[in-house]
This record gives sequence, C-alpha cells and structure tokens, in this order.
Amino acid sequence: MSRFSQGATIALTIARKDALSELRGRQASGSTLFFAALVLLLFGFALGPDTRRLTDAAPGLLWLAIVFGGLLTVARLHQLEADDGALEQLALYPVDRRAIYLGKALAGTIAMLVLGAILLPVVAILYAIPIGAAWLPLVITVALGAIGFAAVGTAYAGLTVRMRAREVMLPLLMLPIVAPLLLSAVKATAAALGGDPFGEMGAWLQLLAAFDIVMLVAGAATYGFVLED
Amino acid sequence: MPQTTIYVAPRLAGMQDTIPPAVAAEDLARLFGRSAALAGISLEIEMGRTVALLGPNGAGKTTLLRILATAIRPSFGTLAIDGLDALRYDDAVRSRVVYLPHVTGLYDDLTAEENLRFAATMYGWSAPEVGDIVRAALDEVGLLPVATDRVRTFSAGMRKRVALARLLTARPSMVLLDEPHAALDGDGMALVDRLLGRWHEVGITVIVASHQADRVVGLADATLRLDGGLVAEVTGSGIRADSSWAAPAAAPAAFGSDR
Amino acid sequence: MKTRILGIVGLLAVIGASVFGLFVVPADLNQGDAQRIMYPHVASAWLGELSFGLTALAGIGYLWRRDLRLDAVAHAAAEVGVLFTAFAIWGGMMWGRPVWGVFWQWEDPRLATTALLLALGIGYLLLRRLTDDPARRATRAAVVGVIAALDIPIIHFSVIWWRGLHQGATFGDPAKILHPSAPGLFVIALMGMLSAFTIVWCYLMIRRYQLARLDWQMEEHGRLGRISAARRAASVPSPAAEEPAR
Repeated sequence: MSRFSQGATIALTIARKDALSELRGRQASGSTLFFAALVLLLFGFALGPDTRRLTDAAPGLLWLAIVFGGLLTVARLHQLEADDGALEQLALYPVDRRAIYLGKALAGTIAMLVLGAILLPVVAILYAIPIGAAWLPLVITVALGAIGFAAVGTAYAGLTVRMRAREVMLPLLMLPIVAPLLLSAVKATAAALGGDPFGEMGAWLQLLAAFDIVMLVAGAATYGFVLED
Repeated sequence: MPQTTIYVAPRLAGMQDTIPPAVAAEDLARLFGRSAALAGISLEIEMGRTVALLGPNGAGKTTLLRILATAIRPSFGTLAIDGLDALRYDDAVRSRVVYLPHVTGLYDDLTAEENLRFAATMYGWSAPEVGDIVRAALDEVGLLPVATDRVRTFSAGMRKRVALARLLTARPSMVLLDEPHAALDGDGMALVDRLLGRWHEVGITVIVASHQADRVVGLADATLRLDGGLVAEVTGSGIRADSSWAAPAAAPAAFGSDR
Repeated sequence: MKTRILGIVGLLAVIGASVFGLFVVPADLNQGDAQRIMYPHVASAWLGELSFGLTALAGIGYLWRRDLRLDAVAHAAAEVGVLFTAFAIWGGMMWGRPVWGVFWQWEDPRLATTALLLALGIGYLLLRRLTDDPARRATRAAVVGVIAALDIPIIHFSVIWWRGLHQGATFGDPAKILHPSAPGLFVIALMGMLSAFTIVWCYLMIRRYQLARLDWQMEEHGRLGRISAARRAASVPSPAAEEPAR
C-alpha cells in the first residue's frame, strides 16, 4: 500500500469513528444544532421586529450562528477523545499524525456541513430570505466555510482540550483567526442572495478557498505537536 | 501470507550480531511543576525480559512507563528503545511499543468490536485481516459474546478486558502495562497472568507495574522497585538499574552557556 | 552596558523625532495638526507586525530545534508586539477622532487588521500564561504563533477587499485625505520616527529576552534543585555540583 493510500485509510477510519460516535451520542450533536437555531431566534429578538433589518443582516447572523455552533462542534470532537483518556491512545498509534488530523478535520467538516444545512432553512424562514435560485452558490459558500472552520478548529481544539480554562481558550483563540473567514463567507452569502450585482462573489469564494488550503496545510503540519503532551 | 495470529515474535532492530537492549536509559528525570516524579534513573533491560515494576504510589512507576511509551518526553536524560533514540525517532518507537495505561481509553458509544476494529486498523492490519484479528482478540479475553454491545454498558472489569484485547491487535516488541490487574476479578487476573506468560514465551519485552507484587514477581525475570522517583531496589536477570545522576548538562532542551 | 547606551540613544531619538514631527514639519493641509500623530502611529504599527513575525519564526525555530532560547525570543517578541500594537491602536483612535469625528470606523482596513493583530497577540500571551510546563508551553505557543502568522495575509486581503468593494464609503471624504504640504519633510519625519522606534524596539527586545533568560536560568536551577532535593530526601548521593550557576 502506498503511503498516500495508507494515510487516506487512516483518515477515513478516524472520520468514520468520529461520525459513529457523534451519531450515537445523539444528545450532544443534536443539542448543538438546537443551540445554533436558538441563537438565530434570539438574534430576531435582538434586532427585530423590523423584518427588513433582519433580512439585511441575515448573512451575518447566519454565519455568526454557524461560528458559535462550530465552536461547540469542534470542541466536542476532541472532548470525546479526552473523556476516557482515549486521546493518549490515539497519539500512540503508529500512524502518520497528519492522517489523524485530516480524519478529524473531515469529521469536523461533515458536522459543520450538517450544521449549515440545518441553519439555512431556519434563516430563510426566520428572516424572510428567498433562497430559491441561489441555493448552489450558498451551498458552495457553506461548504468552503465549513472546511476552513474545521481545519483550524481541529488543530486548536486538540491544543486546548487538555488545557486549563479550555472552554474559554478555544473561542478566544479561534475567533480572531476565523474573522477573515467570517467576513468572506458573509460577503459571499450576501452576494449570492442579492444576485451578485458587483460580480464580487468569485473573489470572496477564492479567498475562502485560500483560507481553507492554508489552514489545512498548517493544521496537518502542526498536529503532531498538538498531540504531544 | 500475513499472519493473523495475535502473538507474534518481535522484530529485531536491524543489528545482525548484537541485539540492542529493549530499554537503555540514562539520567531519566521528569518534573511536573514543583515535584520531581522521576529524579534520575539509569536503566538497561535486555530484550525479551519480563520486568515487574514495583513501588508505592507516587514512586514514579506510571511516569516511567509513560516516558518509555513516548507518551511524554523526559525533562532530562536520554532513552533508547530497541536501539532507537526515543526522543528523535519517537514515531519508529511507537510502532514497536504498546502501552496500557490505568485509564482504558475506549470510545463509549462504540461497541467492543468497533473499538477493536479501529485499533486494529490503526495498527496497520488491512481490511480483510481486521475481522479475524479482532475476533481472535475478543475470544482470547472472553468477550466474544458481548462483541456487539456498546462499551458504555460495560463494567470496569469488562472495559479492562477490551483494553487488553486491544493490546493483542498490535504486533509490538515491547508491552508496557500499568496496573493491568486493577478492576479485574479472579478470572480476569488469571487472564492477565496468562497473557504475561504468552508474551514472555514469544520473546516480547514486558514491563508491568502492579500493586499485586506477589502475582507479577512470580512471572517476571526481574523486579525494579522505585521510591520517590529513584531506584530503590533491582533484582533478577537481564536488568541493570541505578539512580546515578551524571551532570545537569544532560538536559535535552536547555539554554546555552552565558553569552 | 551596551544595552543601556542603546536605551538612552533610543530615548533621545524618540524625543528628537517627536520634536521634529511636532514642531518642525508643517501641518497637514487637510487634516491639520491631528495628522502629526501618524508618525508614531505608523511606526508603532510596523514594529508590532515585525514583532509578531519574529514570534512566529522563533516558534518554528523552537519546534525544529527544541531550544528554549528560541521560545524566550518568541515570548519577548510577542509581549513587545502587543505593546506596540496597542499603542498603534490608541494612536489610531486619537487620530481618528479629530479627522473622522469618531474613534473607530470599520472602513479603514489598517485599523481593523491591527485590532485583529492585537487580539491574536493577547490570545497568544494568555495561552502561555495558562500552561505551566515549559516544554508544553513552548510547543503550544509555537503552534498558535505559526497559525496566527499564516492568517495575517488572509486577514489583510479580506479587510482591504471589504472596504474596496463597498460602494459609497462614508469615510473616504477626499477633503480629509492626507495632503502633506512639504512632502520631503513628511517622509523624513516618518522615517525618523520609524528609526527611533526601531532602536527602542531593539532595546526592549534585548531587555525582555535577558529577563526571560534569567527567568529560565532560575527556573532551570529550580528544576535541577528539585531533583537534587528529591534525591537528598531519599539519601542517594548526587555527584552533580550543588552550587547555583552564576
């Protein structure tokens, strides 16, 4: 087996294990989705009742909810390792740690895609957004955002899971890093919903993709150090 | 034809004429904040030996095992496992060593079989082989009937057995065990003894820390007793150990001299 | 001794550049005297970025070599960087109030980028504070430093495009744009302040690094001392020298 396919097998095995754990620990992942939807509801109370104002703000509110839900999601994917001391075992397997990283990042991406898929219709309903024809660019935007967030979130979650004050350290480190992801995703979403009048959506999506690639490479390169105790 | 048995003779570290010691450590020390869990240990263990690691709580047994497993780095000192520099080539060392810590490290929401299939894949078994090896391991620890039950429903003793089965899916040259008898009933402890015997038979180096001194000493070639992070007593064959402490300059990550 | 001279030179240079910027260079044609704060503000921002770049590089060096000296450099650079970046933001706000009428606005890409930079720097320092073990702390900090550094260019582009693609910028009033009345003096003032600040930066870095090294030596001695103490408690002879290293 070539090293590449070995690594891919490892990554997929890990992603599969995480996905299984998530699906079976139903309460945890469901709660996160519900929380994110609740956040959207609360934004309505904070910025309403003028629906027009909410409609204008919708792309930003959507992505804020995704970010908040995302923080919980990536934290949980490492918490399930830390609970029974499984993280140490994971770090001791004779496998390339980049493959471990990619597996966990893949699991994180899938979890965030699910998050995005649930929140899009919620936003559409709560803030009167006509998604309609824009569904494809919206899906692409959510996908790119999910990949980027999971990429850096996996590395930082692994870093903070054994730390003191980890509940606050993860958001504290993540939020400044994902600021450009947030701003690009919001711009791309707004452009998609508005029919892209200035032709800027392509540029924003490219920036998102660049973020994704940079963070995936950085995460893979540093995850070995993250797993060190 | 790849072997799908669960006891495999260890692979030697490449040297044809001389067999390197399984463990060669000098001036090993490890600090945690203010306390020195290990305060300077030099150690040499022949390959294939079974060593009982004894001592009271806080003596440094767990810390020593974790350093040997490359789970943590020592604060000072050098370490070679099967002739490999454990600080530089920790990934190569990890392919030769398995470690069973005090906590079982299982995934609660997965079944026993799924936990083992995951481990077996991590240990490098290919997809068609995984099924056989997992079944053999579960059979060996007597958990075949509950293979498809989730670990969350298991008692502490059963979780320990799953963890032991996980060890059996690896192909190590060295096995490190931290209190393997804990949480087990009479049958469980007899299982551990049987495993220790089988590993010794095939020439796998075993270092087992246990409070059940009488049980392990009987099965071991040598005993190493620690106290306060230092060597208190060493008996038996195939082992050399003392608490020498050469010089502070042995620190692996230290500042250079004053400039 | 040499460092002290450096510090004095730096202080004098800053005073000199400040006098030049405040009294010698004529006021900006559009922004008036408020523009003068730009000299230390820009210099500060520049050096803040330089510092964080050094933090990232030193971190990579640590991961490669495991030499805690490099970690001390990274730590020193991060602290100095936060200092300069915070000052840059403060300067930016002081500049903004008279020119824009508000302390903060979101269309200025530099301000937004610098704010994120400050947040990243503070996060880095907090991460260090919450980790006790020196090796673990150095490793974690290095990882965070590298990822943060890689994010900077992306932040940069995203914030610039943010403003650029936005129609009807309310703060881009042409009447308020910089319009130096004596461009030559303007450049001299800028470069002069930058050089002065750089000297101060070097001084602070050296001092901070020396402090970190002293800290480490004390800690190292403490660590070895603890080992020796543990050995003595078990009454095992330790042939290592017991005198503290000077």
